[in-house]
Amino acid sequence: MAEITGTTWTVYDANTMTQAEVYGRVLCELGEKDPRIIGLTADLAKSTKIGLFQERFPERFVNVGIAEQNLFGIAAGLAKSGMLPFVATMAVFASMRALEQVRTDICYQNLDVKIIATHGGVSFGQAGTTHHCTEDLAIMRSLANMTVIVPADGHEAANVVRAVVDWPGPVFIRMGRGFEPLHYQDENYGFRIGKAVQIADGTDITIICCGVTVFHAAEAARELKANDGLSVRVLNVHTIKPIDVDAITKAVTETRRILVVEEHNVLGGLGSAVADVIAASGKGCAFTKVGLPDCYSEVGYPEDLYAYYKLDTNGIIEKVRELLGREFEADENWEDEV
Amino acid sequence: MPANARELLTARIFTHAAFPVMKVVIEDVPAMKRRFQDVKAKVQFMARNDGDTVGAFLVFDEAGFRVEQGVCGDPDITFSFPSVAKMNAMLAGKLVLPSIKGWTKPGLLIKVFQLLLSLKLMMPNARPKDPERKKLKVKMIFYMITTALSQYNKGGDPDMTKWTAKQPERIYQMSVEPEGIAAYLRVRGGLTKAGRGYYTRRRPFVHMRFHGVDGALPVLLKDVEFVESVGKGYVTVEGSPEYAAAMNDFMQRIQALVT
Repeated sequence: MAEITGTTWTVYDANTMTQAEVYGRVLCELGEKDPRIIGLTADLAKSTKIGLFQERFPERFVNVGIAEQNLFGIAAGLAKSGMLPFVATMAVFASMRALEQVRTDICYQNLDVKIIATHGGVSFGQAGTTHHCTEDLAIMRSLANMTVIVPADGHEAANVVRAVVDWPGPVFIRMGRGFEPLHYQDENYGFRIGKAVQIADGTDITIICCGVTVFHAAEAARELKANDGLSVRVLNVHTIKPIDVDAITKAVTETRRILVVEEHNVLGGLGSAVADVIAASGKGCAFTKVGLPDCYSEVGYPEDLYAYYKLDTNGIIEKVRELLGREFEADENWEDEV
Repeated sequence: MPANARELLTARIFTHAAFPVMKVVIEDVPAMKRRFQDVKAKVQFMARNDGDTVGAFLVFDEAGFRVEQGVCGDPDITFSFPSVAKMNAMLAGKLVLPSIKGWTKPGLLIKVFQLLLSLKLMMPNARPKDPERKKLKVKMIFYMITTALSQYNKGGDPDMTKWTAKQPERIYQMSVEPEGIAAYLRVRGGLTKAGRGYYTRRRPFVHMRFHGVDGALPVLLKDVEFVESVGKGYVTVEGSPEYAAAMNDFMQRIQALVT
């Protein structure tokens, strides 16, 4: 166990990362079969876990130094040359520092570049707001051609990495710092890009979530059933774009109350994507987005920040109870029909 | 002697849940439809209750048939009972003779008697053979049960109000398929509403799907216990078994009140 010394605690403990470590291992496995796969990073091979690929395939690995704009420019060139670049860096650098290169060099040309964006949300809590990334989903989903995926845990990260090899065009895979608890037992639960996974069925309310909030939403559903007798549906909408319109519309129709929980600014992320679907469906429902309330994040340990922003199990339970009490229909005639 | 709470609740279920089912008979039975086609009348049912009156009246007019609660000013026929208990007994099919005003309109009186007697189709001992009559019986019972459950809550039964109070918005749907006979009870935070057909605005919390009219009748006639009927494939219950059982319990309590 590494000594806890500020930000280095997270960097050293990256050796035991679940999500990132799994993707690193799977990427090596895929690299054995597919010679087109090439790894790139900007001096973050260790903490983003693409270093595993570097060790196995040093001739197919490029560390550009601390130069993220170059990182994505080079990746675009490699993709044009027939390679399949997997680019790993922190979400905040991928989505903002190198945004122009991601947009113009990669997305505009619809190139096969797979971006592994680690330390998303507030998962790098103690590193501070500059290293948090609570805007990336909003930014990335607005780029044409880009696919945006937020895996729930290590097993889902493995599924995503396997799936994107054959998925055309650029993909933004948003991960946490790597300490996220495992929700799935293994990789065999039917993952498909663009198809939400129903974790629990229910009729009182639907919790729509992605990333680390999936674990907490599933826990909250269990608690709410046991303590409140509530029937809670949980949808893991891991693919923010293209979003699973059918699953969301079905949830609106069948439960009429939707709570979206995401480790992101409430503007522009999963909640906004879900709201777009609901608005287009023409169906009314009670709706709440839980995330960072359009602010810059506080600094602290991730678990404390999840609790502070109501993204943990207790916070989700509180929000579900709140939403269930809200009136939303004009149809308030309680006279029995004859 | 004033009626007790149980008698008043029973009367409420008769007037709010059983009387409205006459509309099904008028609309679905061609002979009855013809019989009431041009009828414009008001028929009052009332019972004395400690200086006050408990009752409801049937209205037949251009708008069709409806039931209104209370006492109307100008009834064509009035059935009066000395007590709420006597009125309940008569409506439960027992031999109780009310005081009747309106003998001067014998044609209307006969039609109303025929309509009242048609409600006996809901009784457990009514066992129709004709497929259309079977369907009618199931439909009438569904409509009666869902409204009775709602009225049991609105009437303030302590257990029912406690049960509904803690629930978020939920739909308890009953249906017979493939015939498509359906009714539901909507519940939210102590409020209840009975509805006809399928509720389409959300998925039911509990859905009792009866498999055909011939599957529904043995259950509704109590020829088989509910659990047994699930085993025999007469009905499928989707959703919470605990809440389905609780609803079944309230249905049995209501049946005990009205029979």
